[in-house]
Amino acid sequence: MSNSYEADKETFMGAPRNKIPWWPTIDYDKCNFCMECDKFCPHNVYAKSENDKKQLIVKNPYNCVVFCRACAKTCAPDALQFPEKSEISKLIKKLRTE
Amino acid sequence: MKKLINETICILPCNGLDKSLGVIAREVSLKVIEKMSDVQLICPVLLNNGDEKYETLIQTAKIIIINGCMTRCPTKLIEERKLKPFKQIMIPDMSKKYKVKPTKDLILNEENIKLADLIADEIIADLNKSDQDKDNAIREFQEQEFFDITVDKYYFTVPKDGYFFNENDCWIKPEGNTALLGITDYLQNAAADILFVDLPELGSEIEQFDDVGSFESSKTVLQLISPGSGKIIAVNKSLEQNPEYCNQDPYRKGWFAEIELKNFEEDKELLMNGLEYFDYMKEKIMKEKNHLDQIKSENDV
Repeated sequence: MSNSYEADKETFMGAPRNKIPWWPTIDYDKCNFCMECDKFCPHNVYAKSENDKKQLIVKNPYNCVVFCRACAKTCAPDALQFPEKSEISKLIKKLRTE
Repeated sequence: MKKLINETICILPCNGLDKSLGVIAREVSLKVIEKMSDVQLICPVLLNNGDEKYETLIQTAKIIIINGCMTRCPTKLIEERKLKPFKQIMIPDMSKKYKVKPTKDLILNEENIKLADLIADEIIADLNKSDQDKDNAIREFQEQEFFDITVDKYYFTVPKDGYFFNENDCWIKPEGNTALLGITDYLQNAAADILFVDLPELGSEIEQFDDVGSFESSKTVLQLISPGSGKIIAVNKSLEQNPEYCNQDPYRKGWFAEIELKNFEEDKELLMNGLEYFDYMKEKIMKEKNHLDQIKSENDV
């Protein structure tokens, strides 16, 4: 059995996944392009940029498992940030009533 | 110091001399053995060379691992030998915990020494904790009925009553104004053999969906994302010695932590009961199975 969550999940807790802004933000002043987060994440959230600039990017934001921040633990320079959980919880509750 | 008969405690640090995190890991170990003369230091380089003395020692000793970075070289040395560490520390995690940011200097400076001191003090305090740690694994659990499903060689269960679940595959079992937290059978199956757990701090306040601990298997590192909010009032210390409880009995002996509930009625709005989670889990398992079958058939062509 794979340990990955399904990447194409359409809802999270009954709310449309594409309306939940949960994914990492990369602080490029801190990121040292070690790609540990990319190696770690089983959901293909990250990728290397395809342009000339050697850079980590968030390629598939909606693959990110809502409330999961496990990749941030792999980041020695602490370059990954996530949204405020309480705000996301509030939003999910609101979306569920719509 | 908590000590069982013939019990030896070893400390195995990262020796990464090319990164300041490795230098800090080494410094932590030196500070621990300086203050605790019966803790034995293991040189990772010599262990990697198969030193006979070390190989014998680690078979029976309690091993404290100090990882400098996520490469986790010391952890890998132990896992290669099919052993389980007693405790694992990640310098970046401790840096966040103590809000001391290490510099990149390879020669120890004031800031990095401060971090090393804090980590060493924590390890020493932990080792000195005598028998005050009760065996919290011993809890009363009533007979439980389960929903179950077998897919290929995997067997999944979900308790029918008394537990609530989030979509991150973690459970909460409320009892009055307290509740136990843990991971589901699905998550333990996904992780495979769990080798190490990182439990939360007693007394810490958590919000719903906070990461309250992690567990590590030979495949991955996963988090317990709390289905409820409250204050940590107990942790299952027996998992440090027996992380396999998470695999063998995830809904009972494998509980992670106990919280004093803050507002469970509100938390419940974003949780599922047993039947709802069972349906959710089945759908997820079947999607994964179909995905894997598709890959397999494409590869067979």
